[in-house]
This record gives sequence, C-alpha cells and structure tokens, in this order.
Amino acid sequence: MEDVVLHYQPGSADELGSLLETTQKLLEPFPLRAPPAFTPWFPTLTGDRPLPIRPATPAPVVTCLDDSPAAEVRRSRWSVFTQRGVLQQSSQSLSKQFHHAVSVHGLHLRQRAKWVIGELNCGAARDIEEVGGIRSARTSCLPSCNANIQRERGEIWVFCDVLHSEQVGCFLKEELRLSGRIGLSVRRLGNVFSM
Amino acid sequence: MTTLTRQDLNFGQVVADILCEFLEVAIHLILYVREVYPSGIFQKRKKYNVPVQMSCHPELNQYIQDTLHCIKPLIEKNDAEKVVVVIMDKEHHPVERFVFEISQPPLLSIRLLVTDCCLCFHSSDTLLSHVEQLLRAFILKISVCDAVLNSNPPGCSFTVLVHTRDAATRNMEKVQVIKDFPWIVADEQEVHMQEPRLIPLKTMTSDIVKMQLYVEERAQKT
Repeated sequence: MEDVVLHYQPGSADELGSLLETTQKLLEPFPLRAPPAFTPWFPTLTGDRPLPIRPATPAPVVTCLDDSPAAEVRRSRWSVFTQRGVLQQSSQSLSKQFHHAVSVHGLHLRQRAKWVIGELNCGAARDIEEVGGIRSARTSCLPSCNANIQRERGEIWVFCDVLHSEQVGCFLKEELRLSGRIGLSVRRLGNVFSM
Repeated sequence: MTTLTRQDLNFGQVVADILCEFLEVAIHLILYVREVYPSGIFQKRKKYNVPVQMSCHPELNQYIQDTLHCIKPLIEKNDAEKVVVVIMDKEHHPVERFVFEISQPPLLSIRLLVTDCCLCFHSSDTLLSHVEQLLRAFILKISVCDAVLNSNPPGCSFTVLVHTRDAATRNMEKVQVIKDFPWIVADEQEVHMQEPRLIPLKTMTSDIVKMQLYVEERAQKT
C-alpha cells in the first residue's frame, strides 16, 4: 500500500488516535461477496417441464445402393427395413458356412447384398443377355429381389437381402444352369461369400 | 352477426387437418433438405402452389402418416404445444431440431354473417386461402434452410417429438390411436442439446392458428 497523508484540523490533535483508527478501517479492502447461484425463474426442459413423447418405433432405415460406375446404368435403388423383429426371424435355414460368413463380416440379415453372375458363369453356349432374359422372367418369384444387367462389365447383378441370399444363390445356380462359382458381394466389404 | 366458438364449427378438427397436412409436407421436405434419406427416394410434387420434395418410399411414408395420425387428436384438442422433428446422429444425439410451436386461440372471434350462407362459405374460403399462403411461406423457408445450417454428419436418423401442454402421461391415451404404433416418453438425451444455435425460420399469425418455426442446431455436429 502506498503512503497515505492524513489531513486533520489543528484542534483535533487529541483525537489523533481515533482518527488513525478510522482511517485504517477506511483503507481496508472492500469485502467481496460471492453472488448466489443463478436459479432460473422460468420453467426449464430438465426441471419441471415434462419430457415430450415420441413413437416407440424408430423411423425406417433406407439404404441406397448405387454401385454402378457407368452413367447410363446408374440408377439409385433403395431397400427398406425396420430393425424390429429382424433378428427374431429364423436363421436356422442358413448353412453353417454362410452363417459363419455373416458373423465374420458382421452382416445384418436385412442388409442388401448382390450376387454377381459373370460371363464365365453363363457357359460358352450362352451370353449374359440370354441368361439375363431368363433372369428377368424367373427372379420375380424370389423374395425381395431385383436384378440388372451390367453390359459394360459383362455381369448380371441380382440384389437380395442377406437373409435370403443363400437361397437366392442356390436358385440362380440351379434355374439358370450356371457354371463355376458365383460371388456374393456387399457394399464396402466386397466379396463375402461364394458358391 | 355472431361469435362462434371452436366447438360450434369444429374448428379444432379443421385446424388439425390443416396442420397435419402441412406437417406431412414439411417433414418430407426437411428429410430431403437435410439429407436424412437418399435423394433418390424423393420426387418433386406441387403443394401450396410451390414445388416440394416428397418421399415415394412406402414404409417411410407410412411411418410419417402413422405419426401424424396419432398427433392429430392432440392438435385437435389444443394439447400439442410443439411438434419437433429431431435429426439425430449415429449415437442418437440430436444435431438439429426443427421446432413447430403451435398456439390456437381458445375462442375464435371469427365473426361470420350466418344469415347469408354464401357469404359464410366465402369467408371460410378466404380464411383458408390466407392460411395456405402463410403455410407456403413456411415451406419456402424450409426449402432454403440448408443455406443457414451446417452439414449433418453421415448416418443421421430422425424422430418426431411432441411436447404436450400437460404431462405427457395424461395424453398417452389420446395419442395411442394406432394399435401397432405405440408412443413412449422420450429420453432426456434425445431431447437435450448442448450449446444449441437458434435459427428462427418463420412465424405466422392467422385467425385459427399461430405457429412459429425455428431450428435448434448443435454447435459441434461432428
């Protein structure tokens, strides 16, 4: 603290002690008072305000499958599934090998996958157009399937849910009399299974 | 001339019809503009004389319709205070909340000349046309709101929250109108947003309903 000069009237020299004491007190720092914590007077969301309501069922998830690099065949396809009850569906119909592939790759049973049929699978006597014609006539009876011909790649893509893909693959091989192995591909993961 | 109450003309039902029709369009448009669903599932349509994007995905459409069908009785009884379209990230934390705050006058002071039926119809047509104009402005604001909002992280989903005027439990029975479409009280984490940014979009005032729309956006979305 800097020096302080006290001016007092000449007649009050006897009270110098009390003057010094008063001055001392005046020069003490002001007391600090902690302000009380703020309490909102209006209703708050987490306080007395009731929580809102919402549907218990989550909104459907739509996955967009748009894998084709060729502009002319580039069409957005979509599939829909709800999480509810999917896992309750029996997966006992899946073979051990396929079940293993599903668990290794962490696939969801309602996830879309595609069987890729190449020119080699069609055999020497037929081309993909011919097989594609059979495909379009016969895949309509398969569960949740859609298919298209990728002419630039010389492939037929048959889309289906992972849940049905083994059944679909067997059907395709048998009905279309495919030779060799066909591969099941999943977006981002690539080939996950073949038969 | 006379003053008619809400009950006399069943205005609650009219307002609920108008608002639910509007909310359906608005929800589709929000989901499109904020890219909650792939743009490939949306088709351009015309509503309120302006182009809008509506989903053509059957299950999503059904979900939205079921949601609004359940909300309608609450709006009809003036029990719904806010209808909120919440966009959530992968962890189900809200990143954006489109809040439709609804307020209806308890007594309508619409003075109609009931002796002249033609004039009465004319008045109601004018009223509805006016409301439609106001709702159109909301749609236009939603369609350009992406200019003032930051991009959402990938993999977002949405839900619809309804804030009721009374405790939610009292309104549970009213909202459970579809057997396989149950409603529950939302978790606090679904409602609470940290450091939201408030973006007012549109306000309307008409004789039958007042509504304001604002967006609460989470400051850090990623």
